[in-house]
Amino acid sequence: MKHQLRKAFLTGSTALVTLAASSLWAFAQEATFVMPTNEVGAATYNPVKSPMINAASPLIFDGLVVQDVDQSFHPHLAESWEEAPDGMQWVFHLRKGVKFHNGEPFNADAIAQWIPSFAGTDNAYMVEAIDKVEVVDENTVKFVMKRPEPNLLFNFASAFMGIPAPKAYKEMGDKFGVTEAIGTGPYKLASFTVGQETVLERNDDYTWGSELSQNKGPAKIQKITFREIPEQSTSFLELKTGGVDLLFGVPTDFIAQVKAEPNLGVITTPAYDVAYMPINVTSEPFTDIKVREATALAVNQKQILDSIYGGIGMEAHNFLISALPEANVDPKLNISYNPERANQLLDEAGWKTGANGVREKDGKPLKVKLWAQTDTEFKRLAEAVQAQLKAIGMDAEITIYDSSAIRDEYKKNQHQLAVRSYEWNNADIIDWFFSGQRLGYPNISMWNDPKGEELNKKAMTGSKTLEERIANFKAYHEYVLSQFVFAPIYQPVTSVAYNKDRLKVTDTMLKKGIEPSQIMDLEVVQ
Amino acid sequence: MLFYTVRRLLLLIPVFLVVSIVIFLIIHLVPGDPIDNLVRVGSTPEQKAEITARYGLDRPLVEQYLIWLSQLAQGDLGTAIVMRRPVADLIAQNLPYSLTLGGLALLFSTVLGIAAGVIAAMNKEGRIDRTVMTGVLFGSTMPSFWLGLILILVFAVQLRWFPVSGARSWESLVLPVLTIGLGGMALVARVTRIAMLETAGKDFVLLLHAKGLPARRIQLRHVLRHALLPVVTILGLRIGWVLGGAVTVEYVFARPGLGMLLIKALSQHDYPVVQACLLMLAMAVMLGTLLGDLIQAAMDPRVRSALT
Repeated sequence: MKHQLRKAFLTGSTALVTLAASSLWAFAQEATFVMPTNEVGAATYNPVKSPMINAASPLIFDGLVVQDVDQSFHPHLAESWEEAPDGMQWVFHLRKGVKFHNGEPFNADAIAQWIPSFAGTDNAYMVEAIDKVEVVDENTVKFVMKRPEPNLLFNFASAFMGIPAPKAYKEMGDKFGVTEAIGTGPYKLASFTVGQETVLERNDDYTWGSELSQNKGPAKIQKITFREIPEQSTSFLELKTGGVDLLFGVPTDFIAQVKAEPNLGVITTPAYDVAYMPINVTSEPFTDIKVREATALAVNQKQILDSIYGGIGMEAHNFLISALPEANVDPKLNISYNPERANQLLDEAGWKTGANGVREKDGKPLKVKLWAQTDTEFKRLAEAVQAQLKAIGMDAEITIYDSSAIRDEYKKNQHQLAVRSYEWNNADIIDWFFSGQRLGYPNISMWNDPKGEELNKKAMTGSKTLEERIANFKAYHEYVLSQFVFAPIYQPVTSVAYNKDRLKVTDTMLKKGIEPSQIMDLEVVQ
Repeated sequence: MLFYTVRRLLLLIPVFLVVSIVIFLIIHLVPGDPIDNLVRVGSTPEQKAEITARYGLDRPLVEQYLIWLSQLAQGDLGTAIVMRRPVADLIAQNLPYSLTLGGLALLFSTVLGIAAGVIAAMNKEGRIDRTVMTGVLFGSTMPSFWLGLILILVFAVQLRWFPVSGARSWESLVLPVLTIGLGGMALVARVTRIAMLETAGKDFVLLLHAKGLPARRIQLRHVLRHALLPVVTILGLRIGWVLGGAVTVEYVFARPGLGMLLIKALSQHDYPVVQACLLMLAMAVMLGTLLGDLIQAAMDPRVRSALT
C-alpha cells in the first residue's frame, strides 16, 4: 500500500514536471518542421533567380494571388483584377496597408520594379508575355501584354512569384535570399544555413492573410525551424523521438509505421503526380495504333493501386491530375483496363497467340522493351506492368537505368515502353511531354502528329482567356488520348505526418493538407 | 629534411594534374547533364540551348577542361550551375563541418585504436587480446551507413541520450564521430598490434630484457615507439579517408558537409560542385599521405638518412 502510494506520488510529480515543461513550450510557440526531401539543398531564398525553391519560401514572400488545392485562384496581395476581353491587358488592384519586413511599402511601384528583374533569369518565361508594367496609381497596376497569357494567374500564384522588397532586392544584389530575404509574408527569415536549417520568425505586423486561411494574421506559431534531412528514415526517427514536430512528404512505405504510433497523425491529400507509361510510336510494333491501344488497355490501374500502393492514392485514366478542369474529358476517351478489347485488337492487328502464350506475327514473337529508372517504386511498377502485358500475350523485358542516364537513353530512340511519373499541376504538361519539338526527352512517345501539333499550337498560344485555354487544352488532351501514345497508371498522394501532442491542426488541414496558407492557422498545443 | 619536403611538394603537381583529369572525365562522361535539371516545364528548346551555352557546356570537352583548369590555377572554382552560388562559397560553408567531424573521428580512432592495439599486443593470445580483436573485426567490417542507423536506433531512439540528427550542438557530434571513428579505430588497432608483435621479436628487445628492464617499460617506451611508424603512415592515409568516408555518414545524420554537398551535386549533375568536392577529397588524401611521410621522416632518422 505504502509502496503504491509512493509510486502514485512519483507519477504525479512527473506529470507536474511534464506539465510545467509543456506549458513552457506552449508559451514559446515554437515548432520544427522537416522539408520534403526533394527540396533539400536549395541554395537561396531569391524567388526571382532561384531554379529551386522550398517550403519555407511562400511563408516569407506573398504573391499577388493564391491557388487553392482545387486549383481555383483567390486574391492575396491583389484584391481584385480585370482582364481585357482580348487578353492584351490586365489590371490588378492591390491591397492597401501592406508593408515589407523592412518597412518598405508594398505598392504599384514595387510591382513595376519587380517584373523587369526577371529578365535574363531561368524564371523569365513566367513573365515573358508581359510587355510592360504601367503604374496607374499608388494601388493599381496595369500589365500590357505582348500576347494573351491565360496562364498569368497560375504564374502569379507560383512560389517563384513571391514579391521581394524592391529597394532591398536592388541594394543586396546576389546576397538577397542568402543572408537576408525580405518579403511581405507572415514570417521573416531569421537565419539560413544551406542544407541544414532555416529559422523563421513571426511577422507581428502581418494583417493581410488570404481568404484561404481563417487567421488573417499574425500567425499563431512564433518561431518555425525548417530542417533539411535527406534520409527519410532519419527524419521519421526524429519525428518519433519528438526531435521535430512535422514532416512534409512522408513516403507511402512509412505511412503504416507513422499510423502505428499513437501520438503521430498523418494527413493524406492528392499529389500533383501522375505515373504513366509512354509508348514509343516510332518503334515496331507500336507504329500500329491497334497494338498501342491494346497495350494501354492491358494496364490494370485498380490492381496496381491495390497491390503496390496499398489502396492509397487514385487510379489515373488520363494524362492530368484530376483536380485540373482539363482532366475532365469525354469519359469515352479515358483509358481504362479492358482485357477483352485488348486481346481482340491484337487479333485484328494480326498478332496470333503462339507458344508459351506469347503472340506472334509472321513468325516473330511479340517481344518488347520496358524501361524504368532505379527507384524502387518504378521497379515494382515495371514488374506489375510486365505481368499485365504478359496476360495479353506481350513479352516485356525490363531494363533499369539511373534517373539521369535514362534521359540520354530516351534521346537515342532505342526505347519502346517505359514507366515513369511527372509532377505538375497545369495542363501545359501535355505540351511538355507530347510536343513534336521535344522528341526523345521529354516527348518519350516520339509522337509528332500534324493534327496534334496544330491543337498544341492552338492550346499554347491561341487562347485569349482562361475559359478558351481550358477548352483548347481539353481538345488537345482528348486527341492525345485517342492516339494511345501512353497508358495512364496511378495518381499518388502526398502525406504530412505530425506530432499530435505538439501541433493542433484544423479540419481544413485534415481535408486539404498543410498548404503554406494553412500554416497561419497551425497552433502549438497549449 | 627541407630538400625532402620541397621535393615531395613538387611531386604533388603532376599527381594533381592527373587527378584533375580523371575527376573531370568521370563526371562529364557519365550520361545525363545538369541542364536537364534546370529547364522547367514550359521552356522551349531554344531556351535550353541558351542555358547550355551560358555555362559553356556546348564546347568540346578538352576546351572545357582547359578553361576549368586555368580558372582553378587562379583560385576560381567556378559557379554552381544548379545551385547558383560561387562553388568556393559552398565549399567554405561546408568544409568546417567536415573538418570538425573528420578531425574528431581521426583523433578518436588514433587514441583508442593505439590503446586497443597496445592492450591486445601486451596480452598476446590471451582472452583480452581475443576480445579486443573480435570487436575490432566487427568495427572494420560494418558499413558506416548501416552502423550509423543502428547507433541512432540504440542511443537516440531507445536511450534518448543524443539527438537523432543535425549539427546544432556538440551532442549531435557524438554519434557521427563514433560511426566514422569505429572503422578507423579497428584499422589502427590491428596495425598497432601487429607492429608491436613484430618489433617485440627484434634483437634489441631481447637485449633490453637481458638488461633487466621492466617488461611494461620495454613495451611502452621502446616497442611502441618503433611500432608507431606504420601506424603514422596508416593515419596519414586515413586523413583523406576520413573526409571521404564521412560522405554517407553526413547523409544519414543530416549533417552539412562536403559529403552532403557532393551527394546533392551528383544527383543534379552539377559539374563544378562535383569537381570541386572530389578535388577537395583527392587533395585530402594527397596531403594526408604527404603529412604521414613527413612525420615518419621526422620520427625516424633512418628514413631521413635514406633520403639524402
